[in-house]
Amino acid sequence: MTRLTRGVVISPAMAPHRIALLFNANKVYDRQVIAGIGHYLNSTRVEWDLFMEEDFRSRMRDISQFRGDGVIADFDDPEAPEALSGLHIPVVAIGGSYHDPANYPAEVPYIATDNARLIRLAYDHLIEQGLTRFAFYGLPPHPTSRWAHEREHAFRAIVDEESVEGMVYQGSPTSAGGWGQAVEELVTWLAELPKPIGIVAVTDARARQLLQACVMGGIAVPEQIAIVGIDNDPMAQLLTRIPLTSVIQGAEEMGRTAAHLLHQMLRGMDCAGTRVLVPPVGINVQASSKFHPIRSPHVMRASHYIRQYGCLGIKTEQVADYVGVSRTVLEEHFKRELKQTVHQVILTHKLDTACDLIANSDVPLADIALRCGFTSLQYMYAVFRREYDCTPRQYLDLHRKTAAT
Amino acid sequence: MPVSNATAWGQFPDGRPLHRWTLRNARDAQIDITDLGGTLLSWQSPDRQGRVGEVLLGHATAQQYIESNAYMGAIVGRWANRIRGGRFRLDGIDYKVDRNDGGNHLHGGHYGFHLQRWDVEPDGESLVMRLVSPEGDGGFPGEVHVELRYRFDDDGTLDLQYKATSDAPTPLSLTAHPYFNLNDRRPDVRDHVIRIDADEFLAIDAGAIPVGRQHVAGTAFDFRDAAPIGSRLHWPDPQLRLVGGFDHCYIPRGPTGSALRPVAVITEPSSGRRLSVETDRPGLQFYSGQKLTGQPSRGEDPYGPFAGFALEAQAFPDQINGPEAEGAILRPGVTWRQHTRYRVDTA
Repeated sequence: MTRLTRGVVISPAMAPHRIALLFNANKVYDRQVIAGIGHYLNSTRVEWDLFMEEDFRSRMRDISQFRGDGVIADFDDPEAPEALSGLHIPVVAIGGSYHDPANYPAEVPYIATDNARLIRLAYDHLIEQGLTRFAFYGLPPHPTSRWAHEREHAFRAIVDEESVEGMVYQGSPTSAGGWGQAVEELVTWLAELPKPIGIVAVTDARARQLLQACVMGGIAVPEQIAIVGIDNDPMAQLLTRIPLTSVIQGAEEMGRTAAHLLHQMLRGMDCAGTRVLVPPVGINVQASSKFHPIRSPHVMRASHYIRQYGCLGIKTEQVADYVGVSRTVLEEHFKRELKQTVHQVILTHKLDTACDLIANSDVPLADIALRCGFTSLQYMYAVFRREYDCTPRQYLDLHRKTAAT
Repeated sequence: MPVSNATAWGQFPDGRPLHRWTLRNARDAQIDITDLGGTLLSWQSPDRQGRVGEVLLGHATAQQYIESNAYMGAIVGRWANRIRGGRFRLDGIDYKVDRNDGGNHLHGGHYGFHLQRWDVEPDGESLVMRLVSPEGDGGFPGEVHVELRYRFDDDGTLDLQYKATSDAPTPLSLTAHPYFNLNDRRPDVRDHVIRIDADEFLAIDAGAIPVGRQHVAGTAFDFRDAAPIGSRLHWPDPQLRLVGGFDHCYIPRGPTGSALRPVAVITEPSSGRRLSVETDRPGLQFYSGQKLTGQPSRGEDPYGPFAGFALEAQAFPDQINGPEAEGAILRPGVTWRQHTRYRVDTA
């Protein structure tokens, strides 16, 4: 184990509490929980010696050796309750919510991400996009992913209650060996779904698989399938060509809450049976769910193509080739449905992508121009002046977030 | 856009007609205001999809506003919030004012500004509300003339500029009392995510009277980083248990009395709507709406607990009985000014 001391000189009488954090912190959710614990400690100037595994992965079986004062542990790990039961120090549990209260550990204070509210937020978002059919892409049952089963249960409960069509697919576990076949099965499932349809994916990782399968199966996102994930994981965003809409869990708040409860227990408060369910704190709405009914299949196919390749310097002719109609016919459909030319839609896509990169990355402007399919930086400047009445540099000064590194 | 013409809206107890006016902006949002209590009746604002929906709690009829004790959407005066024992001493004279909240004074007393019929005059894009509060109103000294200018901007800002004068020294603290629910599809605000830019709040006793400043760090009251209202209600905190939730005055950072400063931002994940509050007042009362149960709504079902939350920019509760009393006294020859802004847009 590595020892993380927050660098302060402490007199022996004030010896800080030794606290173990047991998380598999290789996922964004766990890291945000840990960040929330850190924020709480910083705000209160409470000094804890924090113990974590060096590679940020917890090993429950070693914890019985821990000679410390308290533990905050990931109770989604099925080994946690038993491994910690022999410790006679305060323990605060973090995990997913359960629809059946009997599934919560009896005594340990429990801070939960509210699975029912996560799914409700994703579902309501799809409803507001005008969708009337829904599906859920989950995970096969496994002791380490009871939260996924809870999310599936929440989805089934909503579609039952509202008497709407709702299909559920658990798919296969993700393993390098069987992935080829798994993705083929996924493509088949997607192909057979009635469309248009909105799919709630149990995580962003699962949502990314959906996006991949849609590309393979030639299914337009979001026109035929609109997708919402959960986690708002920047990694999933990096790896998808179509930006993913995702529900943001209140993971930092869970960390703050857990730290607060443990802090109180170390002062002698009895928090047994305390249960705090934390709802989601937002939804990052991106292209994958921006469904609005388009009647023309030509426009649908063309929009899909532009979203994928719009930044690679494509022209109207290539879009028309992909769709399989003449330029004139395609322009006619675009004019009727979108009140725009194909060229304008491509340009808008390039500009949107450029603005997003300017605001949310630290990529230099010259690289952004090339990445977004402008032939030169000068040309991007000209387009910005014409469309926004400002230069990319001025836009950057206004919008680039200081935190972007 | 210019203010609409007045339309009839119920009757004042003395038989005079009441009216409502509509302020619209260029983004399809609109706000309805009545002369009864200067009350904000309705605020319709677009969500993330551009769908316009109601963001304020409200009753259905003028009669309900008169009979209710929720101060829903009203302008509150002469004294917003509580005065301990309904007593204060001003320039050596002891005053007793209405005691309408246990043994304490609350929100102007039995016939506060929220139950008065204001004079209303549209002025271009603004709506100007005027009220004369006579000597002895609720037990307060001096005849007070109040003017409130409501203006609604295209960016979704409702701007409230108050002016007041008095012919004798009197405590004064005015506030607007709108209850918000930014998600018109769910009658519960516990999923709203709130940020309050305050390092301290006023801890209270069982009568909701402040007993002292408390730092927010390490407590359920620390909203300097945004957090959902609902999960904080489950933190073990004696201050929350006293009043069944939040009903506390925060002390936002920054200088008070002259310039606006941002004090709070609330977002609602499902609708994407966001409320931002700016004020020049020293205090910001945050009420999580736990006692709204049974209040009549615009529809058939009455409101339940946590149906809405209120953020009231005002003086500190009972400030008139504390060391900062002078900051809450209006003296003759001086024009009292207050400025507060509520903006509703999408995040």
